[in-house]
Amino acid sequence: MAEETAIHMQDVKVRFGEKQVLKGVNIEVGRGEIIGYIGPNGAGKSTTIKLILGLLHEFEGDIEVFGTSIRGADPAYKKRIGYVPENAEIYDQLTAGEYLTFVGELYGMSRDKAYQKAAFLMEQFGLTEVIHQNISAFSKGMRQKVLLISSMLHNPDIIFLDEPLNGLDANSVIVMKEIFHKLAEEGKTIFYSSHIMEVVENISDRIIILRDGEIIADDSFATLKARSEQGSLEGIFNQLTGFETNEKQVENVVSSVLDREVREYE
Amino acid sequence: MNNQFSLKILDLFQPVFRIFHIDYPMVRRILEMKLLMDGRRVPTVFDQSTKIKGNKFLQSLGLYAFYSLLLLFFLVGDVYIFQMSILFGISMFILMSAFISDFSAVLLDIRDKTIIGTKPIDARTIGVAKLLHVLMYITMLTGAFTIIPIFFMLFIQGIRFTILFVVLMALFVLFIVALTSLIYILVLHVFDGEKLKNMINYIQIVLSIGIVIGYQLVINVFNVVGTEVHYVFHWWNLLIPPMWFAAPFEVMLNGNTETGILVLSSLSIIIPLLAIFLYYKFIPAFEQNLEKLLDKKGAASPKKYPFRTFWEKMLCTSEEEKYFAFAYQIMGKEREFKLKVYPTLGMAIVFPFIFLIIFLQDSSVEELKSGYPFIYMYFTNIFISITVHMLQFSAQYKGAWIFPMTGGESPKLMYRAAIKAFLVKLYAPVLIIVGIGYSLLFSFSIWLDVLIVFMSAILLAVMAYGITITRRYPFSDAFETVKEGGYTAKSFALMFLTAPFVLIHFLSTLLPYGKVAWCILLAGITVLVWKFVFRRKAASKAISKQVINN
Repeated sequence: MAEETAIHMQDVKVRFGEKQVLKGVNIEVGRGEIIGYIGPNGAGKSTTIKLILGLLHEFEGDIEVFGTSIRGADPAYKKRIGYVPENAEIYDQLTAGEYLTFVGELYGMSRDKAYQKAAFLMEQFGLTEVIHQNISAFSKGMRQKVLLISSMLHNPDIIFLDEPLNGLDANSVIVMKEIFHKLAEEGKTIFYSSHIMEVVENISDRIIILRDGEIIADDSFATLKARSEQGSLEGIFNQLTGFETNEKQVENVVSSVLDREVREYE
Repeated sequence: MNNQFSLKILDLFQPVFRIFHIDYPMVRRILEMKLLMDGRRVPTVFDQSTKIKGNKFLQSLGLYAFYSLLLLFFLVGDVYIFQMSILFGISMFILMSAFISDFSAVLLDIRDKTIIGTKPIDARTIGVAKLLHVLMYITMLTGAFTIIPIFFMLFIQGIRFTILFVVLMALFVLFIVALTSLIYILVLHVFDGEKLKNMINYIQIVLSIGIVIGYQLVINVFNVVGTEVHYVFHWWNLLIPPMWFAAPFEVMLNGNTETGILVLSSLSIIIPLLAIFLYYKFIPAFEQNLEKLLDKKGAASPKKYPFRTFWEKMLCTSEEEKYFAFAYQIMGKEREFKLKVYPTLGMAIVFPFIFLIIFLQDSSVEELKSGYPFIYMYFTNIFISITVHMLQFSAQYKGAWIFPMTGGESPKLMYRAAIKAFLVKLYAPVLIIVGIGYSLLFSFSIWLDVLIVFMSAILLAVMAYGITITRRYPFSDAFETVKEGGYTAKSFALMFLTAPFVLIHFLSTLLPYGKVAWCILLAGITVLVWKFVFRRKAASKAISKQVINN
């Protein structure tokens, strides 16, 4: 393998109007790594992913995907990327088969190849019967499976997953985690973003924590655990992002629900 | 329409795409998918009984054919620069409103961005596919809008005129599409997404007002004296787009070769091509700026709505109040609802005046005063059924699950409150504006007519409710992006229900105190019909239970 670096970000800054969303982010991800990319809401996680996917163009610094700078680059580099977006945008008037074929074609596959592969993968996920049904009739878990298939159909080298296990049942979750591991062993890079710390903890080789547009931790879980007194990623995360369970907040909410506390507002 | 057929036609233009280095096979594939999707209806939770209906967009074309009858008035005569300026002015208004309301959703679709934008596809390819998608529908819309006038002009003006018209109309449509898009690009570039979404509504209102002012301008430009029309070129005429497209008729058919006319004519070709070229140049920037649509702004201060609260208390029973407030807010805030409805409201304001102007062409204000000017006010009522029909839809229709959940109360009650809110928030202001205009033009006594028009509007709204509403709850089904031009055949037919009201109103003027009598009688009928349609049935509860079970 000539290229060992999948993603290289150097001093990347992004500003939306007044707000500095990313304040000089440096990330280096190698082939075959599974990166857990976490942070509180609004920390800049999805901005980072959008930058690499070329959905946002205005940034300072340098971003390279497999050694090629993406600034003003030919969009062809996206052929090597797969993506499961968090808010699951999907053309749901299409049938699963039509949608997946279309996505395959967008990635440059032939229609026939895309369809065959989609049909096979759908079969593996137990979706054979619904392949000709409109996605709008799908349950959340079925939709998510379609999205997952659409991100892997074209044999990408990097896969971005944003809450990829959303809505999947427990069995499917186990299967998916296993698939991610196997793909990583085959040299695929997986960029995993989620708020469910247990999953991130046991799936990732390396964990990157983002807060207010800055990276505050970038290490393996073992190293992170050794550095802090916390035993779980959840504990480490809360400690690093400066969050403490607020007893008063819990108290207030409960007493308001029970109508024990009433306040006047404008 | 057969999708394959339209794609085959598109294939003929392949060389053109190649010249511009556009990835045609990919454009075609994306387009094929879009058309496939347009042909499908999204089933919704609350209305599973609804069968897949015919193409709603095609049905809405009927409405545009109806509007086009207006153009016929300006096809007679040979003072082309005058007639055709007005004709293109009206077309500009109607087509632009249609584009903004029906196609903004397509132009501003950000779903494309996450699904196609993350794939190795050039931003320009996506932009071109989008533009072609819109153009296909616009071609049909324009076809519906011009087919009757074209037949008419074949007889009246002959073949040369007709060919010229078709060519100019094509250029004209290109110009309008590019102009609309360029306005979006500009606004998106300067402001954020939130602004743009609001701005679209403002653009519609500006368009409506623009047309009224436009007419004043045209009348002044042409110095209308009786039936004689004199045209003298001024430099600022160059700023009035409809005049560019009118000028070639002067050159080609009247042999007019004044410099001013020639310059105007040349603009009719240069500007549309330039606009399309600019659009093509700006596509990548546009797609990029679309990202701004996703931006959200932070917290806002609490707002008070004294006007709404006042009418809420005045008009509603205590159980209606919450639904009145809800409907009132949706109508004022939901952009997609506004996009669909506000343009028709704009027309409701403008049409009564357009018709006055048409008749002022060959008669004076004095003559009109002694006539029946109130007749034209009924144009504000033509749009009621369409808007009432719209009360069933919302972009956030999925939120309607809350209604059966919180259950118990009749959906009828919700519609009753929604219709009240519609009359207060949308209809009354329109009628009052028209009323003020008319009372300034004619006399204060016109307000009795306004009152009659208002009451027939209420009656019409109730009838429209009875006939067009098929969704159980208001705001509970999706607007279908392109297909649902917003009108069904039914609500289109309902427009003609206005006619008997006009007739009775007219007849009532023949009797002494006839208007007053009709006013009182109408009030009685309205109350009775309202009570009857919105009567409480024991059955309604059983129905809502059934919905929950579904």
